[in-house]
This record gives sequence, C-alpha cells and structure tokens, in this order.
Amino acid sequence: MNAETRFDAGELPRLPADYRAPLWWGIVGLILVESVVFATLITSYFYLGIDQPEWPPAGTKTPDLVKPTLGTLVLMASSLPMHWADRGITRGNQTALRWGLLLSIALAVTFLVLKYIEYSEMGYRWYTHSYGSISWTIIGFHSTHVVALILKTVVVSALAWIGYFSERRSLAVKVNGIYWHFVVAVWVPLYVTLYWMPRVLK
Amino acid sequence: MTASTETDRPGVGEQASERPAISRKAEELDRTWYSASGFVGWFTQVNHRMIGKRFIVTSFIFFLMAGIESLLLRTQLAVPENSFLTPDHFNQLFTMHGSTMMFFFAVPMMEGLGIYVVPLMIGTRDMAFPRLNAFGYYVYLIAGVTLYAAGFLGHAPDGGWFAYVPLTLTQYSPGLGLDFWATMITFIEISALVAAVELIVTIFKQRAPGMSLNRMPLFVWAMLVTMFMIVFAMPPLMVGSVMLALDRTVSTHFFMTSGGGEPLLWQHLFWFFGHPEVYIILVPALGVISSIVVTFARRPIFGYTAMVLSVVAIGFVAFGLWVHHMFTTGLPALGVSFFTAASVMIAVPSGVQIFCWIATLWGARLRFATPLLFVLGFFFIFVLGGLTGVMVASVPFDTQVHDTYFLVAHFHYVLIGGAVFPVFGAIYYWFPKVFGRMLNETAGKWSFVLMFVGFNMSFFPMHQLGLQGMPRRVYTYLSESGWFELSLLATIGAYVFALGVLVTAVDALLSFLRKPDAPDNPWGGDTLEWATSSPPPNYNFEDIPVVRGRWALWERGEEPAGTVVGLRSGRREVLVTTLLDAEPHAVAILPGPTIWPFLSAVAVAAGFLGFIRHPIWFPIGLLLTFVGFVGWLWPRAVGGSAEEEQAR
Repeated sequence: MNAETRFDAGELPRLPADYRAPLWWGIVGLILVESVVFATLITSYFYLGIDQPEWPPAGTKTPDLVKPTLGTLVLMASSLPMHWADRGITRGNQTALRWGLLLSIALAVTFLVLKYIEYSEMGYRWYTHSYGSISWTIIGFHSTHVVALILKTVVVSALAWIGYFSERRSLAVKVNGIYWHFVVAVWVPLYVTLYWMPRVLK
Repeated sequence: MTASTETDRPGVGEQASERPAISRKAEELDRTWYSASGFVGWFTQVNHRMIGKRFIVTSFIFFLMAGIESLLLRTQLAVPENSFLTPDHFNQLFTMHGSTMMFFFAVPMMEGLGIYVVPLMIGTRDMAFPRLNAFGYYVYLIAGVTLYAAGFLGHAPDGGWFAYVPLTLTQYSPGLGLDFWATMITFIEISALVAAVELIVTIFKQRAPGMSLNRMPLFVWAMLVTMFMIVFAMPPLMVGSVMLALDRTVSTHFFMTSGGGEPLLWQHLFWFFGHPEVYIILVPALGVISSIVVTFARRPIFGYTAMVLSVVAIGFVAFGLWVHHMFTTGLPALGVSFFTAASVMIAVPSGVQIFCWIATLWGARLRFATPLLFVLGFFFIFVLGGLTGVMVASVPFDTQVHDTYFLVAHFHYVLIGGAVFPVFGAIYYWFPKVFGRMLNETAGKWSFVLMFVGFNMSFFPMHQLGLQGMPRRVYTYLSESGWFELSLLATIGAYVFALGVLVTAVDALLSFLRKPDAPDNPWGGDTLEWATSSPPPNYNFEDIPVVRGRWALWERGEEPAGTVVGLRSGRREVLVTTLLDAEPHAVAILPGPTIWPFLSAVAVAAGFLGFIRHPIWFPIGLLLTFVGFVGWLWPRAVGGSAEEEQAR
C-alpha cells in the first residue's frame, strides 16, 4: 500500500474546542442565518419608512435616546465577562469561568429590564401603525434572542458550577460565547436603526 | 489496526455476492451505529441514510397528493362551464397544489437526496449534526400533516401559493386557512434551514482525505451552492410569513395600507425568496444530471471547472431576478431594466451547463438506461422553458402575458423539466443503492415515454392558450372563448403524465416483493457511494477511503484503495478534515439515537400552532423548546472528566 494514501487518525485530537470542531461551524452557520433575518428586518424598516411623509408618523414621538443608549452600553459590556470566562477555561481557570458567566447573565438581565421599562412607557403599540409594527417586532425578536441567550447560559453556568468543564472540555463554553457575542453585536445596527434613523429620515 | 489490510473495496462492476465475509471490526461498527427499528426507531433514528430516505419517501407522497390535486383542477377545466368543482374548492386546490409542490415536495426531495447521497459521496459515516437532521425531518412532517389536516377539516388556504396581500389579510380572507398557511410555511423553513447548515458543515468538514474542493463531485458542489442559497433566501420568506401571520392574528400594519403598511413589501419579501427558490430546486437537479451524464457517458465531464463556476454563478445571479415577478406593479423603470438584464444573464451560466453536458455526451458510448432517458427529456423540456423565460424577462412581453396560461406553461416547463424529470432520473439511478433492488428497465422506459408525451401534451398548448388571453386561476370559461379544444388536450395530457408517474410508483412498490438483487455499482459510477454495499451498512464504510483524484473510483483502478486507520469502532467517530484540501485534522464523536429531536419538534410546533389561537403560546412554545433542547444537548458524561471521556 502506498504510504501517502494511508492516514492514521488514532492520534488526532477528539472534540477540539476551536474551528476544527463541526459544532463551531454549525454556530457560524446559525449566525449567518440569523444575520439574514436581522438584515431583512432592517430592510423592511427602511422600506416601510422611506415613503412616509413623517417617520415616525404624526402624533408619535421620536424615540428618546438616554435609556436605549444606556441599555446598549450594558449589553455591550456583557461581552467582556463572557470573553473572560471563555479565556479562563482554556487555561483551566474555573473561577473566571463561573463568575464570568454569572456576570454576563446579570448584565443581560439588566438590559432586558431597561428595555421592559422603556417599552411599557411607549405611547404606541404594534397595532397602532406600521412604525409601531416594525419597531415592536424588531425589539421583540431581539429580546427573544437575549432571553434565549440567558436561558442557554444558565445551563452552561450550572454545568460550570458542578465542575463539568476543563481545559480539554470547553467547546460548549466556546460556542455559547460566540453566539453571545453575535447577539450583542447584532444589537448595534438595530440600535442605530431604531433610535438614530428616525432622526435622519425626518 | 489490522482491518486496513482487507480494504479491497468492491470496485466497478463487481457483484454483491463477492463481498468478503463480515469482519470483527464491521460487527463492532454495526453495533455502534445501530439505530432501533420499528415503532421506537420511528421516533429516535438519527442516521443520515434513514433521515434521507424519510425525506424522499414523504416528499414523494406529497408529490402524489399535489398531483391528484392538479388532476382535479384539470378535470374541472376539461370542458367549458364545468361544475365538477365549486369556485371555492378550485381556489383551495390550486393553492394547495402550488404550496405542496414548492414547499413540501421539491425542496424536501432535494434535501432528502442531499442528506442521503452527500455523506456517502464524500466518504464519511454520518452528517455533522445527526440529531438536528432528525429534528428537521419531524418539523417538515408536522408542518405538512398539519396543513393537510387543517385543509380536510375545512380550513384550507385559498390565496394562491404566493398568497398576495391584501387578498390574504383577514379583511378579505377570514377563517383559519391562511393562518395555518402562514404559520406552517414559517415552520417548514426551519426544516430547510437546519438541513442547509448541516449539509454545508458536512461538506466543508467531513470529506474523505484527499477530496480537496477541486476534486469534489459536481453533485456535492451543486448541493453546497443550493444550501448557501437556502441560507440567504429562506430567512426573508420567514420574516414575510411571520409578518403576514402577525397582521392576521395581532393586527399589526405591515401590509395594510390603512396603518401605513406597504402591500408591495410582501411581494418583495416573497419573491426575494421565491425566485432563488426556483434555482434552489434546479441546482441540485443540475448536480443529479452531472452525475448521471458522467456515469452513462462513461467518461469524465467536459469542463469540470466551467461547470463548477457556472453553478456558483447561477447561485449568485439567482438573487438578482426577483423583481421580474413584479414587472406589472409599477416599479421605477431603472429597477425594471436592471432585473431584465439579470434575467437574461442567467441564461449564460445555464447555457454553459448544457453545452458541457452535450460535449460530454458527444461521441461517447452512451448507455441508454432509464436515468439517462430522463436526463435527455430534461434537456428538451428545460431548454424550452428557458427560452420562454428569456421571453418573459422582457418587460413589454411580460406585461402582455402576465397572469395568463403562458406563464403557467413557462414555469411548468422550468419546474417539471428542471426538477421532476431529474428527480425521476435520480430515483432510477440511486434506487438500487438505497433499497438494494433494481427497478425494472422496461417499466422505466414506459414511465419515461408516458411522462414525456403527457407533459408536452398538457403544457405545450398552454402557451397558445395564454397568448389567446386565457387567465390563470379561473375556475371555468365560456364555450365562446375558443379555449375548449386546447384545454381538453391539456387535461388528457395531464392524465397521461399521471399514468407515467404511476408506473414508476407501482414498479418501486413491486420491487419490494423481490429479493434484493442490486450489485454494489450497477451503473459503473465513479463516486464513492458506489464503493460500498447496496444498501450500505449502518456505518457506510468499513474503512474511510482516501481519494486520489476527481473520479474517485475510476482513478483507483486495480490498485488497492488507500484508507484511514485509527478511527475507533466502539463509538461514533468521524474524521474531520480541512476545508480546502481535506487533510485530516481532528476526529468528531457523533451522538446516538434519542427521542429529544422529536420532542423538540413537537414543542416548536405547539408554539407555532398555539400562536394562531393566542399570542401567549409564543412564550410557552419558547419555554417548551428550551426544555427540549436542554434534554437534547445534555452532555453524555456529566460527572466524568474529559480525560476519561477521551479514554473511553
């Protein structure tokens, strides 16, 4: 048998926690799909808004900037402890992993609370007009992602606290982190669209 | 590992009976990759071949259902002022016919072929995410069964397969039919998207060593391009159908002009999906045809690089065509011109494909078996459909024939020519591999002749009917219209076509009365699926092959095949290779059978269906799905350490 056509897989790493793992690629695929969904929502926002005489329509206030900007900073900050947790476990640091995950969850919950307060004070609902429909849908869809992110990370964090992860078993932390950073990053264009574009389109 | 010495895999033309006795390694692999059969297996199977088979069989049943619907429609139209169907039933039937053919037959059939064939063709034991695969199938099945169950209970949608607003808003379409349609269409896209991600990752990361991208079979290339198209085309449809559902259930104003909504937004979102959709169906068929042409011409494809580049080009250009469905909506002239140009441009890469096939077939010693006949039928029909496609790409002509039978003729030439004929070719080509039985060649030839003659008899007259002004979707017409003779001819043709389909269906069923008789490589094909037994064992390949050229089996010749050693047989290990050159760099351990994907699919379905009644089902569905996913992904080794897991 020709030596170059014979591969020995015996010594290859099993379940490496990086781009060699199929799951890593799966998460990249999920992010790609979701990016298209968010891009479609943003496009729809502009399509609905661009031909209107006023956007938001007459009688609806242009959204306030203070609370959403604060919320955005909180959400973006949540990526830091997540990164810290991820880097921690690749070096075997259980403390960084456990507390990093909890801190991220706390920041994401804060973001949701701020969003809840902001939107319960809104003078319009999804059934008021098309501006209301698209704004509430975007917020609802993104908040659902944050909720899913928190639920998912609670499970990862429970596994972390019972000592499941180690340097060699950290793939779940890694892919959870990648998805976390995505949900945080995708908020930025949504934030710009929802809170700055009404000022530009006016 | 000693097993690698007995890797002389059955090559071209060898018979099944010559296979060596089952080794101990094969026995262990068989235990490791075993999935329960019967009632339990129905809910827990995860192996890609079983999931692929389910997709193919289920979508074929939907194909027959939609076919029966079309026969009812044609029966109604056979004579003027017929009262065989009421107008309401007519509307419901053409809506279900179109929706079923597009969403529940064509796409799942192509996915099923990909899920079954691709892992075998690239030489791996299963797909990257076996449980996700199972989940996708249950989602598909639940969506299809629900839509039909709702239809039989009197809640059939009746807004056409593209469900234009404002007709489909509550104001003009009260009742639950369109609610079911909108939610189930959103729901089934989940199935398409998970299959897409799964196939992309499998093709990227699990090819056999040596199968670099430039040696990948054209079928795999076609599947890869298709799956990327699904990733970019399906999400906009999901957003659109969710908006439609929201407009209907919680009174949002996306499409209703009264609250500042834009009806045309629906058309943009729908056709941004809808046009690539045509190519999502066509491109896998191009892959099927390349496989069949190479095998039956018994020589490598002419212009492999041109073929790959043109498939990729079709994938890109397909996204620049959607507005040609909307030429009559009064869009700006500049936009319309752009889309005319793009619509004409797509003929170029399609032409490259056709010419490369012709060059491959030219002067070859052709073997005229049934799969090749269906491919030749494809050439004739699809080229005609492409010609009328170039005609309707021109705005003035399109304006004239818009919503007439000319359009019906055009897209049936493209879709039946471009998808159904290749799918039947694929059925005859891969049936021996999937079920271990040959289909009857005489029946195959009869089936082809009946389908080919019936198809042209049915749809060619529709060009003329359309030019004479017969609008599509009318439930009847007056005898003075002069449309009677051609309509009757079309109806007769439809029945002849159906007879051809029936011959194949009966032949397939009868084959199960015979003993399995298929050799490993009945057609002398070059790709790796022919290097294993028919049907393949649970684990696909006893030894993962090493690929040394573009035509894996042909280039192997008399030499013993190269193999991969060192994959453990005691657990589900698959080789992970690099994206470009397919050099091994890791081993993935796949999960086994489980019921969680089924439960998760039921949970998601509960959320979607409940939402029709009350929005509270959205959080309930989310929570149930979360529970399902936690059960599904719960690690195998909680309590044990990573080192123990490595050692097991």
